[in-house]
Amino acid sequence: MAKFNKYIQIGKPTANAAGADAGMLKVVQKYNNVIAVLEDGGMPALDWFKKNAPNQIVECGIAEANGAVIAGGLAAEGFMPFLHAGTFAVVERAYNQIRQSIMIDRFNVKILGRDGVWGVLGASHCIVEGIGITRVLPNLVIIDAADVVETEKAFIAMSDYIGPVYFRLEDTAPSPLKIFTDDYPFEIGKAYWIKDGRDATIIATGYMVTEAIRAIDILEEEGLDVGILDMSTIKPLDEEAIIEAAEKTRAIVTAENGTIIGGLGEGVAKVLAENAPAAMVLVGVEDEFSQSARIPTDRDDLKIHFGLGAKDIAISVKECISKREKFQLSRK
Amino acid sequence: MAHNSAIIDDLEDKSNVVIRNILRIFESSGMGHAGGTMSLVEIVTALYFHHLKLDLNNCNWPERDRVVLSKAHCAEAIYAVLPELGFVPEETLDKYYCFGSQFQGHADRWCTPGIDYSGGSLGQGLSFAAGMAMAEKIKTAINPPNLHVTSTNMPKFIMQYNPAYRVFCIVGDGELAEGQNWEAAMFAAKYKLDNLINIVDYNKFCLEGPTEQVMPLGPLDEKFRAFGWWVKEIDGHNLRELVDTLDLANNLYGDGKPKCIIAHTIKGHGIPLWEKLHLHYGRAEAVTQGLKEGKEIYG
Repeated sequence: MAKFNKYIQIGKPTANAAGADAGMLKVVQKYNNVIAVLEDGGMPALDWFKKNAPNQIVECGIAEANGAVIAGGLAAEGFMPFLHAGTFAVVERAYNQIRQSIMIDRFNVKILGRDGVWGVLGASHCIVEGIGITRVLPNLVIIDAADVVETEKAFIAMSDYIGPVYFRLEDTAPSPLKIFTDDYPFEIGKAYWIKDGRDATIIATGYMVTEAIRAIDILEEEGLDVGILDMSTIKPLDEEAIIEAAEKTRAIVTAENGTIIGGLGEGVAKVLAENAPAAMVLVGVEDEFSQSARIPTDRDDLKIHFGLGAKDIAISVKECISKREKFQLSRK
Repeated sequence: MAHNSAIIDDLEDKSNVVIRNILRIFESSGMGHAGGTMSLVEIVTALYFHHLKLDLNNCNWPERDRVVLSKAHCAEAIYAVLPELGFVPEETLDKYYCFGSQFQGHADRWCTPGIDYSGGSLGQGLSFAAGMAMAEKIKTAINPPNLHVTSTNMPKFIMQYNPAYRVFCIVGDGELAEGQNWEAAMFAAKYKLDNLINIVDYNKFCLEGPTEQVMPLGPLDEKFRAFGWWVKEIDGHNLRELVDTLDLANNLYGDGKPKCIIAHTIKGHGIPLWEKLHLHYGRAEAVTQGLKEGKEIYG
């Protein structure tokens, strides 16, 4: 039985959406300048807004370019707009609008994008490139929460932070395990050691933390003691934690629910290359779009297709350990 | 309503100051968006020296009227005004395009006191202005201000709110080909943003030639009307028409309609060579020759 760190109590699969709803309500109670900017795509706690704060809903309709810039204009006047839709729409359809009318002036807009490879809606809606396209925008904070508790905490933390944030709402992903206890202190830019391990480290983000936890069971059976670092903030990366992981194990496997091109793995690789060489394997989608997969029956097929499951992570960990031996990298 | 000649004469003088400052900007930089800047001269003069509610001691005064220059490549026109308002030092006129300068190549809110919108990627300003106008409406809805009596001469008092601020957007005719403008137009009508005034600098030319050939716009007035806007077409170089129309649009506040003033202008207006060339972006000889002409006309 794996030994987890403080604030970790692995529970049943629980949808992140509940955390998003609870977090959104706490945000609205804490700040009176919250505005829901909608693009006919729904929103966490939308029913609450409709009932209790209809003045704080701005509905732009299916017009994402306008919606993103309306949010910029509202933020310029002191509001904290929450923009929400599928990432293909809220970010990609309005990418230049976000760059020009939100990012250049670092406006306090929170972008909630429905992101990730899973879903029934096919290549158009199931996003592989969400991290890559947002990471390159200067000054943007990117968060991908691992479970329902971290989602709720992240909503409050991103509202406390003044500036633009992209939050990957992975609500089309399979429900992740409940991982954290309610007193877990989430902080933007701080990765959390879910489990220590001597033989290798899995650096995972969002839903993939759940698969990493499942991979631990497989690896323990084979006598391997592997750590998990929850990289909930993808930008700015917690470089200190990454270096610590590299020095400790010299074998790093990154796991992300999207393309490895421009994603978390590449970000980690840059930190390692400059600071602490380690063997590395990147788990994620190769250069490919996603496709429909029925819930829940076909999800395993999709997982296998993209190599995103616990078994794939376990195989990658063993591959990474043998690379370390080959490169003759010594651990602390 | 009508303004006396002295006010108009004074604005004419101010517009000449604006032109001289624009010429100074081009003289130091050697290049710039000359045509679309000159077509804006009277529009910015009427706004900044007559119509806008501003606090010259505080360019960030929360109740100031906002100006969103969607055609932000023609920021030179507003840059020419800012030193006159005291928002930036006069020497800044010689620093256009310079590294670290307050006068960036496109209007930049982050860098320049008195600039409300960072633009450059065309077709977004009207949305941003609508967002700012919406913010004013939401604030008013959440925290209603004291009722303001607009007329004491009427048998029954007409009571209405005055907006905390109004938002003026300036778009070019070329960028109206961007579909986002029409998303914003729908949005402004839906939310009854009568505190939003959009001024179209209709100079009839974009980079590749006449707007009519690149992407025909007409009938522009009917289009905005069909989107639920109040529309008036004017001569955008006639200061009297400009100030009268701005006042008229202001007095209509409360009708629930966003306002569109289609200002017919001439690209490169005031500099014969630039007018002849329909100059979009001036370099080398076109700028040198134009500046020479300009100095002869405006001193």
